[in-house]
Amino acid sequence: MNEQYSLDFNRRDFLRSGSLATLMTMLGGVELIAQTTNAPGGADKPKGPRVKVAVIGVGPWGREILNTLARLPQADVVAVCDTYAPMAKRGATAAPGSTAVADYKTILEDKNITAVIIATPTHLHKDIAVEALKAGKHVYCEAPLAHTLEDARAIAQAAKAAPGLVFQSGLQLRSDPQRHFMLPFIRSGALGKFVMARAQYHRKQSWRQTSSSPEREKAVNWRLDKEVSLGLAGEIGCHPIDQATWYFNGLPKAVTGFGGIILHQDGRTVPDTIQAVLEFGNGVNMIYDATLANSFDSEYEMLYGSDAAVMMRESKAWMFKEVDSPLLGWEVYAKKETFHKETGITLMAGASKSSPDTVKEPEPFTNTPLSFALGNFLRNASDFSIATKDFVDSFGDDADALKEHLSKLARQPAAGYAEGYRSAVIAIKTNEAIMGAKRVEIKPELYELT
Amino acid sequence: MKLGYIALALAAALPLQAADAIRLNSKPGSLKVRIEGTSNIHDWQVEGKLIGGFMEVGQNFPMEPGKAAEPGKADAKVEAFIPVRSLRSVEKDGSPYSTKMDDVMYEKMRVTEFDRVHFRLQEMVLKEASKAKDAPNVFDAKGEVVVAGVTNTITLPGDGQLKIVGSIGLKMTDFKMEPPAPAIAMGIIKTGDPVTVKFEWLVVQKKAAAPAK
Repeated sequence: MNEQYSLDFNRRDFLRSGSLATLMTMLGGVELIAQTTNAPGGADKPKGPRVKVAVIGVGPWGREILNTLARLPQADVVAVCDTYAPMAKRGATAAPGSTAVADYKTILEDKNITAVIIATPTHLHKDIAVEALKAGKHVYCEAPLAHTLEDARAIAQAAKAAPGLVFQSGLQLRSDPQRHFMLPFIRSGALGKFVMARAQYHRKQSWRQTSSSPEREKAVNWRLDKEVSLGLAGEIGCHPIDQATWYFNGLPKAVTGFGGIILHQDGRTVPDTIQAVLEFGNGVNMIYDATLANSFDSEYEMLYGSDAAVMMRESKAWMFKEVDSPLLGWEVYAKKETFHKETGITLMAGASKSSPDTVKEPEPFTNTPLSFALGNFLRNASDFSIATKDFVDSFGDDADALKEHLSKLARQPAAGYAEGYRSAVIAIKTNEAIMGAKRVEIKPELYELT
Repeated sequence: MKLGYIALALAAALPLQAADAIRLNSKPGSLKVRIEGTSNIHDWQVEGKLIGGFMEVGQNFPMEPGKAAEPGKADAKVEAFIPVRSLRSVEKDGSPYSTKMDDVMYEKMRVTEFDRVHFRLQEMVLKEASKAKDAPNVFDAKGEVVVAGVTNTITLPGDGQLKIVGSIGLKMTDFKMEPPAPAIAMGIIKTGDPVTVKFEWLVVQKKAAAPAK
């Protein structure tokens, strides 16, 4: 969700400062939190099988991935790849025992490596992802999949054509147990009639990185170049917008956007401030706004219903009920918090007024959506590899039967190629609307993989 | 560990193939293993979809539906295995339960040393001969993994394939396995010693390759 952790002031600093807790206490809401018993990690628990994995692209986000992998017992990072030698070296330091390489083809040729995580600039995903699948690697490809429809389609189709491999799109919220805990709650109609969705991403940062040479500076600041970057809507907005499509169980039919370079007049061609309205039909819209010019209220996602609103923030959620909404029952036993103008109810799965407050803020790199997404990727990759070997050992090389067997294998929740592709379509069209300050229709057939 | 001994015994036993025996191989798609057990919080179940191996039967073994088997010992040989990692903890309805529990199970079964559960038939005796076209021949079977007597139901769907349906009561401690008591957030869970293993295994005769012209 947050590709900018290492670049500037980040979300966790914000959390640690306590201002979020204070803010939420002031606002009034019902807290919705999933249990964490199935969380990855834990010293006294069986570690499970390990997966030999390589990370391709180890800029700030790639290193965030490496730091997360370092805390996942199933991750065995054997190689890191970056075309810029100092970055590769720095990445290898974050993964002791790994080899630093410059060319991703070296990794694809290494039979020892079973899975790759692609965290290069978005416009460089396609060749690596397609070739990695051809080389028989399980692939985790960061979101958005690509900056053009052609590239996104090529990646998704390559993944579709490889049913024996795990392909995961980096839409990490789809692996977050907190979001899964929320799903039946939201879909069951506890919010009443859907009214609208809203999400924001507010930062005071430039996104610009300095580097040793003009060429390197251009390469490293690809996000600021409209030719290759989908900007805030694509690089950041793809996550909350995908989440809204998941919760609404629908896809936007049109999007209207606005944007401007308001604060950072440094030669960039990508807006530092955007607003977009995504139309889901029947008058239900999602409003997304993002800026790099003001940090107020950081980032969160809202769902508004006729009976209640839900705010999702980090690994927590709160419900704000309307006074005339029906009594659900369980909120009576839930914890209560005093908020700015109302008294809200704090809710957690498996906890009530009588239980101690066991909810902790997430530790860095563990129990984050990224950590869950990577953990699920490694588990699925390992399960696929083992199931394939077991099947071939048991029945021989029957490709159709193997495909059937793998299709029935239980998988840990994760965004696949179809979700990744649809999300890329929305990101590309939203960016198109923003750059043209116009309304862009998204035809249903565009979401289909043809 | 018993499983290790069995793997060795299997290797030694392999050359014993009767010249005119019919060999039936494991057929993917409709296989099922289900292990049911208990604990102090709720019953648990584990399922798998892979059973590898083969069954060999003599020429007199009834291959057609409804054909009654001859009384006494059946001319049959079974060597089967289940990849341990194909077993997954499931809810009562078969939906996935927990990868944490899977890992506890694999660790208890020492999957890194013994990645398969083997079964080798010792004796199969007719208990009840088939009396109608859709009625199975019921055998009592004894095998190497399972110490207790096993009741196998053999149904004959025709087309040269055999469906073997069975249920076995076992104790984890018989296999020097301590019933798992994983420490997780809810407190200590203790599993009961006895488990029930249920399986459905389909074996099919391999079609002979067409002779070269």
